Amino acid sequence: MPNHAAVNPADHRSVRILEERSEASGDGQMCCITFPDEFRKVQAHYPILFQKDAERTGFRCLALFGFENGENLFLKGGRWEAGYLPLAMDVQPFMIGLPKDGSGDRKVVLDLDNPRVSEGMGMRLFDDNGMATEFLEGVSRKLNALDQGYRRSAAFTEALEAHGLLEPLTLDITLADGSENRMLGFHIIHEERLAGLDADSLKELQAEGHLQAIYMAIASLSHLSDLTDRKNERVVHAG
Amino acid sequence: MSEAVRHVVILGGGTAGWLTAGLLAARHSGGPERGLQITVIESPDVPIIGVGEGTWPTFRKTLSRIGIAEEDFLRACQASFKQGSCFDGWVTGEDSDRYHHPFELPVSQNGTDVLHAWQSSARDRPFAEAVCPQVSPALQGLAPRKAGMPDYMGALNYAYHLDAPRLAELLREHVTGKLGVRRICDHVTEVIGAPDAPIEALVCRDTGRVDADLFVDCTGQASLLLGKHYGVPFIDQGHVLFNDSALVTQLPVAPDAPIVSETVSTAHEAGWIWDIGLTTRRGIGCVYSSAHMSDEKAAETLRQYTGLSGEDGFRKLSFRSGHRAHFWHRNCVAIGLSAGFLEPLEASAIVLIELSADMLAENLPVTRSAMRLEARRFNEVFRYRWARIIEFLKLHYVLSRRTGAYWDDHRRADTIPERLRDHLETWSHRPPGSHDFDHANEVFPVSSYLYILYGMGMTPRLHPTLRPAVPDVLQVEMQKVVRKQRMLAESLPTNRALLSRLAPEPVH
Repeated sequence: MPNHAAVNPADHRSVRILEERSEASGDGQMCCITFPDEFRKVQAHYPILFQKDAERTGFRCLALFGFENGENLFLKGGRWEAGYLPLAMDVQPFMIGLPKDGSGDRKVVLDLDNPRVSEGMGMRLFDDNGMATEFLEGVSRKLNALDQGYRRSAAFTEALEAHGLLEPLTLDITLADGSENRMLGFHIIHEERLAGLDADSLKELQAEGHLQAIYMAIASLSHLSDLTDRKNERVVHAG
Repeated sequence: MSEAVRHVVILGGGTAGWLTAGLLAARHSGGPERGLQITVIESPDVPIIGVGEGTWPTFRKTLSRIGIAEEDFLRACQASFKQGSCFDGWVTGEDSDRYHHPFELPVSQNGTDVLHAWQSSARDRPFAEAVCPQVSPALQGLAPRKAGMPDYMGALNYAYHLDAPRLAELLREHVTGKLGVRRICDHVTEVIGAPDAPIEALVCRDTGRVDADLFVDCTGQASLLLGKHYGVPFIDQGHVLFNDSALVTQLPVAPDAPIVSETVSTAHEAGWIWDIGLTTRRGIGCVYSSAHMSDEKAAETLRQYTGLSGEDGFRKLSFRSGHRAHFWHRNCVAIGLSAGFLEPLEASAIVLIELSADMLAENLPVTRSAMRLEARRFNEVFRYRWARIIEFLKLHYVLSRRTGAYWDDHRRADTIPERLRDHLETWSHRPPGSHDFDHANEVFPVSSYLYILYGMGMTPRLHPTLRPAVPDVLQVEMQKVVRKQRMLAESLPTNRALLSRLAPEPVH
């Protein structure tokens, strides 16, 4: 049973959120959801991949942090080593609470079982007067941006599918210790098909604002080799 | 006797001796072939219990240079974070009379600009609170750093409150174990060398003769080498700084009680009381002038402050404010109380040790013949520093409007050093500026003077024709102070929360 609560000053006056980023604090994830509005910032640090979403039978956009489940190669010494933290990671352990009957305000909800929820240390949610801190206001802004961005991303991935612009990625990585690793289940932009698109299709993608996001996703793949380097660094240190 | 300086003997193993050994050993390579050999001779007497001392922010760099992890230090010395000083009752003695001297700098270090910014946009708030983001978090008992920050880094500038005898123990263990400093636990019975020649050796009761090229006198107020052996005179400053006695005590605190992040100095009719919060107790001392107050009256003052009953005995310390005429004589340097002592207002004791040991380590003479000029330079620098500290301490008394013989005497012109008198006259016409303190390494920068002057209500008239800096820029800085205060309040843990995370000291 998840232990979620709508954030309020009466119950959460003394709650603090630890700033630490580590496996122990719930950041041991190999990827997280991203969306085209965020691509400009994400592509500067992470590979952007696409994955079939089982429920929606559509695709979703992902920022990649590691090569296997639970592996996040950006975590080091309690910190996240990158200049930008994708919103989906940044907002944790908060989420948007939708009212049951679908009306009224949406609320900021906190996962009280998350290890980053603390007292004594970390960022406060409310000041001594019970007013929301800048930190909590920031969380609220980020949750909204995440929600809106995620909603808009469906049009993008549908367009990619419609134009046949996704192809499966088979990634074989040979690490410094000689081990071979294969990663399956992800898609990337089909560059040849993109190059071969007719003028009408290109015009359509351009008009919808998808073209820029497509090129940023392509450019982001250069980070696959950075990620391999990070993995090798750990392999070497472990050996 | 070789010409090269290869062996330094430090006599005395208190805070001064072990800090000097640590800073020397960290700066110079040891090793049997060409290295510098360092020996500390300390007497086997058991040290007394500390009453709490304050450091300056420089102490973080000192510890990091010596190579001690911050957590190890905090735990071993029951240390807490000091973010400045709070002065209670120094101006009028009324209940609301309080000002702060934080470690963070004001929005501008130009006395004119910062005065103008304060008067034009934040007149309703006290000076330090308006121009520096540190006072408000410090008052809330918030720590200057967060867990997980690298050692000795903070969101705000900070120093420590600590238990000095424990510090000496920690340093001894580290410096002898990790930095190759030799320790001799013995009594010195004789100094070999004529009074007009270099010291050749010290003779220890059990160990025998210990030869060295350079001797550091860390023997405390006894000043065995510089004072006793060489007879370098003590320059008494009691006519400027009257306090010569202290009654000290300590109060245990509950394990979850908030820890105050400032040294609280509360003025009384003939001196002041320090209150220093460590993790397990508060160290409290009543400083007074024996010419103006009896021991019994001082004890009553301390009982009133602490709420302790008449049964409780207080330990009495006696001291003389002053310093030696010079500090480096032939091949002997005095560091610590052997060089001098000033009443503990603004906690200058440990920082003077750091500054002295730093300069000695940095300019350690390569040969004995290079010693004369290094000594001359060292003496010039420290005569300047002692004089500036004396003036700065005196400033706290001169600006007071309290009445009574003690405070009236403090404001008598013949008790005020001439340079300070001149400064005060100048600052009645215009605010202090950088040209008033133009040495590269001033002990107290102009910002410290601003905190005391403006905090105590001496606000000079702005120069009638001098234009303040672009108002917009300072206006933005003043707004940043408010914003930063808010940000710090929502992100910093309390001192207690942060310090109680330290694992208990391992049992030996």
